[in-house]
Amino acid sequence: MGVTCVSQMPVAEGKSVQQTVELLTRKLEMLGAEKQGTFCVDCETYHTASSTLGSQGQAGKLMYVMHNSEYPLSCFALFENGPCLIADTNFDVLMVKLKGFFQSAKASKIETRGTRYQYCDFLVKVGTVTMGPSARGISVEVEYGPCVVPSDCWSLLLEFLQSFLGSHTPGAPAVFGNRHDAVYGPADTVVQYMELFNKIRKQQQIVFPHR
Amino acid sequence: MSGVRAVRISIESACEKQVQEVGLDGTETYLQPLSMSQNLARLAQRIDFSQGSGSEEEEAAGPEGDAQDWAGAGSSADQDDEEGLVKFQPSLWPWDSVRNNLRSALTEMCVLYDVLSIVRDKKFMTLDPVSQDAVPPKQNPQTLQLISKKKSLAGAAQILLKGAERLTKSVTENQENKLQRDFNSELLRLRQHWKLRKVGDKILGDLSYRSAGSLFPHHGTFEVIKNTDIDLDKKIPEDYCPLDVQIPSDLEGSAYIKVSIQKQAPDIGDLGTVNLFKRPLPKSKPGSPHWQTKLEAAQNVLLCKEIFAQLSREAVQFKSQIPHIVVKNQIISQPFPSLQLSISLCHSSNDKKSQKSATEKQSPEDHLYVLEHNLHLLMREFHKQTLSSITMPHPASAPFGHKRMRLSGPQAFDKNEINSLQSSEGLLEKIIKQAKHIFLRSRTAATIDSLASRIEDPQIQAHWSNINDVYESSVKVLITSQGYEQICKWAWIAISFPLRTTFAASHVSWSIQLQLNIGVEQIRVVHRDGRVITLSHQEQELQDFLLSQMSQHQVHAVQQLAKVMGWQVLSFSNHVGLGPIESIGNASAITVASPNGDYAISVRNGPESGSKIMVQFPRNQCKDLPKSDVLQDSKWNHLRGPFREVQWNKMEGRNFVYKMELLMSALSPCLL
Repeated sequence: MGVTCVSQMPVAEGKSVQQTVELLTRKLEMLGAEKQGTFCVDCETYHTASSTLGSQGQAGKLMYVMHNSEYPLSCFALFENGPCLIADTNFDVLMVKLKGFFQSAKASKIETRGTRYQYCDFLVKVGTVTMGPSARGISVEVEYGPCVVPSDCWSLLLEFLQSFLGSHTPGAPAVFGNRHDAVYGPADTVVQYMELFNKIRKQQQIVFPHR
Repeated sequence: MSGVRAVRISIESACEKQVQEVGLDGTETYLQPLSMSQNLARLAQRIDFSQGSGSEEEEAAGPEGDAQDWAGAGSSADQDDEEGLVKFQPSLWPWDSVRNNLRSALTEMCVLYDVLSIVRDKKFMTLDPVSQDAVPPKQNPQTLQLISKKKSLAGAAQILLKGAERLTKSVTENQENKLQRDFNSELLRLRQHWKLRKVGDKILGDLSYRSAGSLFPHHGTFEVIKNTDIDLDKKIPEDYCPLDVQIPSDLEGSAYIKVSIQKQAPDIGDLGTVNLFKRPLPKSKPGSPHWQTKLEAAQNVLLCKEIFAQLSREAVQFKSQIPHIVVKNQIISQPFPSLQLSISLCHSSNDKKSQKSATEKQSPEDHLYVLEHNLHLLMREFHKQTLSSITMPHPASAPFGHKRMRLSGPQAFDKNEINSLQSSEGLLEKIIKQAKHIFLRSRTAATIDSLASRIEDPQIQAHWSNINDVYESSVKVLITSQGYEQICKWAWIAISFPLRTTFAASHVSWSIQLQLNIGVEQIRVVHRDGRVITLSHQEQELQDFLLSQMSQHQVHAVQQLAKVMGWQVLSFSNHVGLGPIESIGNASAITVASPNGDYAISVRNGPESGSKIMVQFPRNQCKDLPKSDVLQDSKWNHLRGPFREVQWNKMEGRNFVYKMELLMSALSPCLL
């Protein structure tokens, strides 16, 4: 597990999502990265059931249940600004049992699928974010394997991102800002993905009529 | 009697009235006693008056008969008279007898009283005890105890002896019956070794490894039957057993797995004809009953079948670079090119037919017993994995597997970590790797040995390490010259002291020591000077390498010798770029000058071209030099001039370094 940065690549003008992804992958292959299969990250949203809400009438919290093919035997459950739980895949079955407390938000399943590239110590994943049948955006994830402390290798990561993302290089992710010297973990990656998905969901409400 | 007061005695008549009847309220009605006249009447009725005359005649005959005994007659007559007199008296006083008895009792009592009172005074009469033998009072209880203990012990001993007698009887009975051997006792013995269970009226047993962790679907049940075909009239044979086991028909006979490595690939037509040879049955332990050997053989057959089934399943499923061939009961794979590994299941049943066909004995020399043993061990290890403490006990909700796999979810293991937990190698892969390693090791040993026997100078020694792995062995190869090992070793020992590093740095070369690590497919050579070379499985590579090292050794030895002899090393090169190109490795060369500078020896040694030694003489010793006007001074004639080759094969000395030493000493002038 190394330090990972998840960012969004805006769709090139006049091109479709598919074409932009192809452009990126071609750039990577020219760099010398080797294809190593596919990856998939998906996310489901749950509301806390209204029956369990207190008399204060607060809005139900949203819980996200995510899977990452990089950790095939794990399941992640997290709240927006709250804790993130890493559990066994039996957690999905548990959610079915907890139907009374957590209700699935309709049409909320969002996922990103794509190819995995290995370039020496870097692991690059370029994926298409889809919600239902429509593609909504492009996610780019870069992992630097050897290092686990974000503050030590952020500059290296940034340089690498610049080499193939060019002007679309993102800033430092929010998770880095919290604890600079703490060890990076898989939960942080998943939090980044959640933020990305939320951003894309919000974006879509504006962009959708366009496409 | 006169001084005694009268004692009043009350008397009561004992005759009670007879009860006539008892009334309903309990009152008794008595019979009135008979009055005098009624009594008389009762008595009169008893008299038989017809016999009156008879009694008179008897009385008369009585006295006449006794006339001879006059005193007796007279006394009897007197008694009769007295009796007659007496007869009259009771009618006057019915209590008379009572009175007389009482009176005599009283008299007796008075006498007793008088005697006691006199004795009490002890003046005129004393009581004297009757003398007896004195018994000491203390001994009495002890002897009593002794006697009682003796009696009780005798009783206990009696019981124990009875019991012992019973036991010895039963033991002798058992020994007598041993030959006959009860079915139940034999069944008990069988039960001590094998698992049995009763199904209906049959006794079945289990000889599979399922309880030890095997997942083979064979049932492995055998049946225990009573041996009743015994003729009691005939003598019971020595090995008679009342119990017999019936094993499944496909587990009969004996089996083993033959693993062999052959150099030549056979023709395609030969595939499937497995070279069976009937291995002699392992001798059963003396004293073990025949069913034990039978069951053990059947279990062995089952295990061999399981191993072979697992191997063939893996051979078909897993893809490898060179596909494995599975034909009938043989698996053929090619670990190295031109090498063939065949694993076959040899199952010979006890039929007479197969015995005839297996008379042709194949050479069992290419059967690798080690690999067969390892196959058995690997299978048992696989069994144990399903039952190991790593997997059991485990939570009911978790699947079977390594304990750390349960953590892989909550700790978000990625694929690399998960793969490291799961052993992905199958049985076949492991055996092939082991076979490769064994083959490589034996070929390396053969190469080194052939070189050692072929080349005498320099000598090559191999020290094999005792402790090896299934996949790795190591050997230390030393190249030395005979008689000159110390020169080379001296430098080595100096290096090992850390304080002497400065001293050690001046010794550049030392003896060639190579550490060979033989792996599965490659040989890694670690040179003394730190170089690591990886050789492939080709034996030619190793041979070439060793030859080149030997040639380098000669030149190194010259360098060491020069130090000892005091000669100066002018130049030294491990890989000389001049001269003919060697096909194996490179030639090395050294030039040394004598202590006084007059002579120089130049040595060039190559693995293929051999050694070439040239000596440089001072100019004044060479006769055939062209005179020229360049040299003005005669002192220049002392410099070294042309080279002349030494005919090395005519040189005296048993090896290269010896010859070199002789040459050097011949060229150094004696100062005497």
